[in-house]
Amino acid sequence: MSLPSVSASRYHPSFWRTLWTNAVMAPRTSLGFMRVDFVVGTMFVIPLTQMVFFAFVVQLGGGGATEIAYTAVGNAVATVTYSSVFSVCQTTDSEKQQGTMELLLVSPANRLALYFGRGIIPILISLATVAVGLTYAALLFGVTIPTSTIPALAVSVTLTAFAMVGFGLLLGGVALYLRTSIILGNIFLFVGLLLSGVNFPLSSLPVPLQWAGDALPLTWGIEAIRGVLAGDSLSSLAVLWGAVALAAAVSFGVAIGLWKYFERRALSTGSIARF
Amino acid sequence: MATATAQFSRSRSTYAALRLSVLQFLADPQWLVPSMIAPVIFALVSFELFRGAGPYFLTYAILGAGMMSMWGQTLYGSGWATGQDREFGTLEPTIQSPTPYLYVVLGRVLWNVISGLIGGLIVYVVIVAVAGGPPAVPDPLAFALLFVFVMVTLASVGVVFAAFYVYTRYAGFIQNIGEFAFYIGTGCMFPVVLLPFYTNPISLVFPPTWGLDALRYLSIPGYHGFGWGFWGDLLGAIATTLAYLGLAGAVFHRVELHVLEEGNLSEY
Repeated sequence: MSLPSVSASRYHPSFWRTLWTNAVMAPRTSLGFMRVDFVVGTMFVIPLTQMVFFAFVVQLGGGGATEIAYTAVGNAVATVTYSSVFSVCQTTDSEKQQGTMELLLVSPANRLALYFGRGIIPILISLATVAVGLTYAALLFGVTIPTSTIPALAVSVTLTAFAMVGFGLLLGGVALYLRTSIILGNIFLFVGLLLSGVNFPLSSLPVPLQWAGDALPLTWGIEAIRGVLAGDSLSSLAVLWGAVALAAAVSFGVAIGLWKYFERRALSTGSIARF
Repeated sequence: MATATAQFSRSRSTYAALRLSVLQFLADPQWLVPSMIAPVIFALVSFELFRGAGPYFLTYAILGAGMMSMWGQTLYGSGWATGQDREFGTLEPTIQSPTPYLYVVLGRVLWNVISGLIGGLIVYVVIVAVAGGPPAVPDPLAFALLFVFVMVTLASVGVVFAAFYVYTRYAGFIQNIGEFAFYIGTGCMFPVVLLPFYTNPISLVFPPTWGLDALRYLSIPGYHGFGWGFWGDLLGAIATTLAYLGLAGAVFHRVELHVLEEGNLSEY
């Protein structure tokens, strides 16, 4: 009995099918970040504990309500790193460990749909995480969020989530070449606390560290959200939104470039998934 | 003769577990983060937040970040080791082997303590370099001795965690969501008395809470911690550490019985 043959060279799954599979199926299976414990922990527990921790540190350092509110906003936004950078970056490890990386690299799936699809659930979780964090900031740490600022806040938060997930994909691309991606994810999980103006203004750091901070999308995202809460004009917000959007575009672009480069390398050497 | 063989086997098992932990640490750089890189970042952030708040806040930053280094290593290291055993299928054979599992865990916990200590040392060097000088510690020798004891209190928690992780598939969840919660609950960076009073009993369940408070009484003149003072803290730290070690022994005994009865620890 012979089976009907399908020419591999002619079979191309549609863009939308690839997008759907990577957006909905992959997070629940191979990527592993659609677990209840992960989602609940990332969205509700980590923002609260991180904000409480730094609020007490500020209080011990002699900070008042203003400083505590400043720290609360910074940490509310910074917790987005768990779902956007850390978990997305870690997907490279998951694929390697489960032996699906080789299959992915030789598949004819549209790469743009593949990479962007993988970012959709993390973007949604990131949006929810920042929203929950800002709610904690308003309810527990005395941060005032006027209802008139909510549309501008939504724009800032959405752009930040996109930029951060793009940055996570970029690190995941770098991690293709590394034995493990977890160290990269872990470093960028914490480095933002120091370099992105989360707990204190970036200007209090030495200039080289300020430059390093400026290279991180989180810095611009926090700046945009602080700008909205401070009631900045739309023109100055537009500049910050432009910076976040640019960070997102650069991150996604470099991520796709890296994946393509390492993919070609994998196909020529057949060894990239070995670690 | 049999006793001598068993003793030799136990010490060798502990040494082998310690050696394997060192090799895994060197082979897999991810452990640099919880034990060394993250604490340095936390120390720098807290140093900046404490800047200008008095001379002893340098001690707070160093002590807090050093303890976070050891906490991170204890929390992550214990869970990861058990998870790896489960993934590789070596959990049941290890527990079924003649050497009590406690001695294998002891080797791992020893490495967690050592790497945490190295992390604490790195934090000290970085903060001293940034601050331009070391913090003033009234009694350095007593401080060093007490610091070693606080490491023992952390190790006791690590052993209990390791035992508990055998029975749960949520070790990763506990590690991730528990990180800041443990830092807050045990007062790593600030005194527990700053927290709402009703949370204090939960904090006091953990031996490092007592040990850290005692360390601050010893190193920070005018420190206001728990009302019972330094000696009360020390007594509490000893009592809770002994309780944890007793609990760990009982849990490990139960785990060993379980695996002998069921022959399986994958169904949990």
